Amino acid sequence: MRKTKAAVSLLTVSALVLGLTSFNTTVFAETGTSDLNIMLETPVESLDPQQATDGTSFEVIADYTDGLMQMDADGQAVPAIAESYDLSEDGLTYTLHLRDASWSNGDPVTAADFVYAWQRAVDPEIASEYSYMLSDIGQVVNAAEIIAGEKDKSELGVTAVDDKTLEVQLNVPVSYFLSLMYLPTFYPVNQAFYESVGDTFGTSPETVLSNGAFTLDTYEPAATAFHLTKNEDYWDADRIQLPGLNYQVIQDSQQALMSYQTGALDTTLVNGEQVDQVKDDPEFQTIGAGYLWYVSPNIDAVPELANLNIRLAMTHAINREAITDDVLKDGSIPTYTAVPMQFAAGPDGSDFSEDQTKYSDVCAYDADKAAELWAAGLEELGISELTLDMIVDADDAPQKVAQVLKEQWETTLPGLTVNLTIEPKKQRVQDMQDGNFEAALTRWGPDYADPMTYLGMWITGNSNNYGLWSNADYDAIIAECTTGDLCTNAEGRWARLYDAEKIVMDDAVIFPLYTQANAEMLSSKVTGIEFHPVALNRVYKNAAKTE
Amino acid sequence: MKKYTVKRLLTSLFTLLAILLILFILMQLMPGSPFNDEKLNEAQKASLYAKYGLDDPIVIQFFRYVGNMLHGDLGVSYKISKNTPISQMLETRLPVSIFIGGFAVFIGAVLGLILGLIAALKHDTIFDSLATIISVIGVSVPSYVFALMLSYSLGFRMQWFPMLYNAQNSFHSSVLPSISLSMFTMASIARFTRSEMLEVLDSDYMLLAESKGISGASLIFRHALRNALIPIITVLAPLIVDLMTGSLVVEKIFAIPGVGSLLVNAIQSNDYNVVISLSFIYSAMYIGIMLVVDILYGIIDPRIRLAKKGD
Repeated sequence: MRKTKAAVSLLTVSALVLGLTSFNTTVFAETGTSDLNIMLETPVESLDPQQATDGTSFEVIADYTDGLMQMDADGQAVPAIAESYDLSEDGLTYTLHLRDASWSNGDPVTAADFVYAWQRAVDPEIASEYSYMLSDIGQVVNAAEIIAGEKDKSELGVTAVDDKTLEVQLNVPVSYFLSLMYLPTFYPVNQAFYESVGDTFGTSPETVLSNGAFTLDTYEPAATAFHLTKNEDYWDADRIQLPGLNYQVIQDSQQALMSYQTGALDTTLVNGEQVDQVKDDPEFQTIGAGYLWYVSPNIDAVPELANLNIRLAMTHAINREAITDDVLKDGSIPTYTAVPMQFAAGPDGSDFSEDQTKYSDVCAYDADKAAELWAAGLEELGISELTLDMIVDADDAPQKVAQVLKEQWETTLPGLTVNLTIEPKKQRVQDMQDGNFEAALTRWGPDYADPMTYLGMWITGNSNNYGLWSNADYDAIIAECTTGDLCTNAEGRWARLYDAEKIVMDDAVIFPLYTQANAEMLSSKVTGIEFHPVALNRVYKNAAKTE
Repeated sequence: MKKYTVKRLLTSLFTLLAILLILFILMQLMPGSPFNDEKLNEAQKASLYAKYGLDDPIVIQFFRYVGNMLHGDLGVSYKISKNTPISQMLETRLPVSIFIGGFAVFIGAVLGLILGLIAALKHDTIFDSLATIISVIGVSVPSYVFALMLSYSLGFRMQWFPMLYNAQNSFHSSVLPSISLSMFTMASIARFTRSEMLEVLDSDYMLLAESKGISGASLIFRHALRNALIPIITVLAPLIVDLMTGSLVVEKIFAIPGVGSLLVNAIQSNDYNVVISLSFIYSAMYIGIMLVVDILYGIIDPRIRLAKKGD
């Protein structure tokens, strides 16, 4: 009896083990027939439009929420919930006329929803990280005072004239104001609904409302997979071709690429090491991400770096092509301007930084010139050698780039030794904020489609001006373009911004390196995904997928 | 026995409190904060600190946290899922990790026992050598290597199993991660089973049992294996906790929405409350399991059980 019992249990176990290994079902065809299968690198941080700050969260919020304006394929602001708008002659008052649109609980989308949301964005109790979009950037009346706790949020310069009319008061004319409206920070929130769900807002499909192209079906905080379905009640539903969006967070790049190759994903990111493996594939592409990577010398704290010849020598010694072509290989573009390419279009529609040769005489790769300037700088300082420390993020790409920079500098500039300090990004940012660095490899992503998102950083006292560089002429130009006479003169402002950029480059305040691009795979079955370097990186409203 | 259990419980409680304090201090020592983002200015950071009470002295923060915890409030996430109560995140994630870990323990224990038994019974034969080789590979190769190998072969090439976790098909998509995680357990159990079995098989009472005419399966399972199991349980217990709480890397590879991947993301983004809560739960589970093991030990081992009765 015992013998049989033992034999039976042994048999069961082996059957189970065998059973496990011989499973055979089709597991890759279970997603909806033509849902778009999208890979994300990181989970969503927040579905609360006024709390979210990262690109992933913005993308997903925009899938199911419409703001006043949306982006067209070229990144220009076009009507969404606002059907039309009037701008007062002094450029200070926008009157926006809302279309008939409804939330997924049937409530109409009203001007009051925007007023409530914008007040949340500046409410010190909410402490939204993007509140500066309304104050410093958007220049909405009283935003700065409310954030500072000096005025009540009800005094914000935005009012619901009636259900369908929203009026916005600005301190100064803001030429790019409409393009801010597609940033989720400015998206509406239905007050009654928000109050009914309280603190759970944005943590499940039941605690969000949609007024956009899709509705959220499955979601949990920091979900690794979630799904959205086309919103049949969307005001522009006829335009939406995809039945749904199927998101999958994959943090392992090899798994992501393999999933793409089996057809489980329609689009995925490819890292620098995988590029060689897929670069001849017609589905491989690179997409500009707008991020400018640059070296920030601490001009204030390091006397040697306060010497202009030393700084110019260092920027001339950098072979930016070698970095993008031999190290990164992801489509990143060598950059010789303080404002990166492909994110800000001027009054005539052309890219602000299309011409990459205009500052060649102060930053182009030229080993001889670099060595000359270097020798001159050393002589002025009365030294023969220099050791610099550069802080670098512990991520893969920055470490590799820093290694190449070190080699290029040490080869071209005799007597220079560069030590790299690799540290977690949080620590690097902390060190820069504390002024505790000599040089740093860092990056900046554009917050809005205007060169000011970069040039505004170098004014005296700006919290991102880590090198503490200061130039009165520069400050004056920036003031003129932000709050001064040029606010209403687009062409004149544009020209002055070039003047400002020239000062930054002539003075080698930063050493621009490259404009980051993302290497991606995109299935040939998919068309119409719109990629943008600002605010919403991917927009799926016009996407379609054939079987 | 009762006095012993109470004493052990009290020690465990104090250990947990000490762990919590150490975690708090470690968090303070971590470079940066959840809010040292380049896009935030000083005023904004100050208001965020004030909002979450992070500007209070650490002692006050500690006691407030302990106080809230006693009410079942683990705090909210600052970064990886802003303002979401951590208990809400755990509600969905803990079961996933426990399921996959439990599955792995099951596979590992069963296969390990079989392997160990074969090796001991076929001592010094080709089977023994094979079993030893498998165990050495299992112990020395990290689970994420198995994860990548299995994912490539059975997931990508053969397409028998999904490469990524799928909530709609959780059993099927748990197979590859569970097998990857089970290898270390399997190898450890196999090695212990083998050596314990060899020792037991050599002992006098086995000779007695055999001479009494007991043979075959009964001899092995009732007399030998049962005695060999005792030390194995002490090895298995901490392995169970390791697996239940998920292997950090394996969860990341298979995109499993468990606690392991959550902890990695939380540490990288200085999400204090999430790191503290998860580390604390890990510690509590570990201490809890060790407590259970001590008690189980008495039940399984007749020598201990009988000795206590005789007290």
